[in-house]
Amino acid sequence: MATSRALEQGYFTVPADGDGPPRLLGSYSPTADLHFFPRRRRCPVSQEAVVDVELSPEGVLYSWTFVVSPWMGKNRMGDLEGHGVGQVDLPEGVRVQTVLGGDMGDWEIGMPVALELYPVMQDEEGTDLLTFRFAPLAAAGAA
Amino acid sequence: MMLDDVYVIGVGMTPFGQHEVPVGDLAFEAGVAALADAGIRFDDVGVLYNGYIGGGGLLAGITVAKDFGLTGLPIVHVENASATGSSAFREAVLQVAGGHAEVAMALGFDDMNRMGGPGLFKPGVETVMLPAAFFAMWATRRMHDYGTTVETFAQIAAKNWNHARHNPLAQRRADHEVTVEEVLASRMIAYPHTSKMACAAGAGAACAIVASRSVAERVAASRPLVRVAASAQETERYTDGHVFMGAVVGPGELTRTTSRAAYEQAGLGPADLDLVHVHDAFPIEELMYYELLGVCGDGEGDKLVAEGATALGGRIPFSTDGGLTARGHPGGPTGLAQIFDVTRQLRGEADGCQVEGARTGLAHMMGAGSVCVIHVLQRE
Repeated sequence: MATSRALEQGYFTVPADGDGPPRLLGSYSPTADLHFFPRRRRCPVSQEAVVDVELSPEGVLYSWTFVVSPWMGKNRMGDLEGHGVGQVDLPEGVRVQTVLGGDMGDWEIGMPVALELYPVMQDEEGTDLLTFRFAPLAAAGAA
Repeated sequence: MMLDDVYVIGVGMTPFGQHEVPVGDLAFEAGVAALADAGIRFDDVGVLYNGYIGGGGLLAGITVAKDFGLTGLPIVHVENASATGSSAFREAVLQVAGGHAEVAMALGFDDMNRMGGPGLFKPGVETVMLPAAFFAMWATRRMHDYGTTVETFAQIAAKNWNHARHNPLAQRRADHEVTVEEVLASRMIAYPHTSKMACAAGAGAACAIVASRSVAERVAASRPLVRVAASAQETERYTDGHVFMGAVVGPGELTRTTSRAAYEQAGLGPADLDLVHVHDAFPIEELMYYELLGVCGDGEGDKLVAEGATALGGRIPFSTDGGLTARGHPGGPTGLAQIFDVTRQLRGEADGCQVEGARTGLAHMMGAGSVCVIHVLQRE
């Protein structure tokens, strides 16, 4: 029985142990040759159909900030004084806004970052409910 | 679209801030003030647009209007996030411009502290991003690209706090000259934003009444006519690095394209502006809008701040009433508070904050989602 699952379906994969890194679920527009995240119902540029794709699990930090609050909406970001958020550019040309793993001082614009999953709460059966964040490449998976 | 025949004939506004009374009471106060300012009765109004995001509750707009009078006029609720009041104003302008009404009223009211939003009620992947955090990411990228300093952000915020010292309706009225050091020393919210850099969230109401030229001439008495020279609204276009999930507003380019449309309508350019209001919820926004509105070149906004060009008495004052930073940002009425100040500036009635000889003013608002609304008003 799974001990963790996605908080919501349709945003990222939750690979079994040994099946490689998680990936964000995006869309590709063949007519515009553009990728998007999260999935689009239709290409916003060509207004034509899109196809489902999995996006690269690593990217480059475009910008960041440290929010002096442990809360992001109703998601609690652990026991730290606050949490990082950033924007990450993936190789497909997608910019993803995301929670950042790590603490103030850990982030620099242009640094490589990697996707990771982390629990924000448990359901009634005690299963961890996961969402995604990016963390500096060397530290990803260590949190 | 030509707007040659639309004039602002009346404006009214309550103080912004924390109020004990319901927002409906504030709406009534602002509406009555605007009717009195215009010198007309409510049964002269052909259509009413109510702008509120949620601070007033269900049916608030139609309920508030009953206090003005049961005249049978069409009433519509408008909501466009922070640009709600600006959008209500635009709808009123378009009604008059299209010949559907001789007089149209836009009334904004709200309480920013009584609003919900996505991600506020249960955990989710697409959870809420605090505007302070979203625009902080604009700020850190700006610091990386142009070497902008936190002192520049603090200087913009201090300027707006000090403008508000002269505005009796402002939410934040400091009893002393606010300094850069004081802004920097206030509580950190989201690096590099401190609490004194963030807009003031509270409650309030503001109202503007527009009319055809014939009505404007009839009610003007000895006051100058204030014409709506441009009304432009756009939503975002796809750009490189487009953020779809969690973005509070779209790409900055949205302001550039909307302002170009407004300038074309008005038949003027940024060099013709005497004062400007922008969505200065955080100082990085005001800094970037200097450039995106064409008031200076890209990357030159920091120099404008250093020279004091955007302060009262400077070449092109921004946020003359304190802006969102210090006049306040209740939500629905915010864009109408800008129209209130620009109108009074163009009439020469902005005691304490007056831009001498002001003839042309621009009001810019961003709304989450996102939308950009720009109006240009001109004294005749």
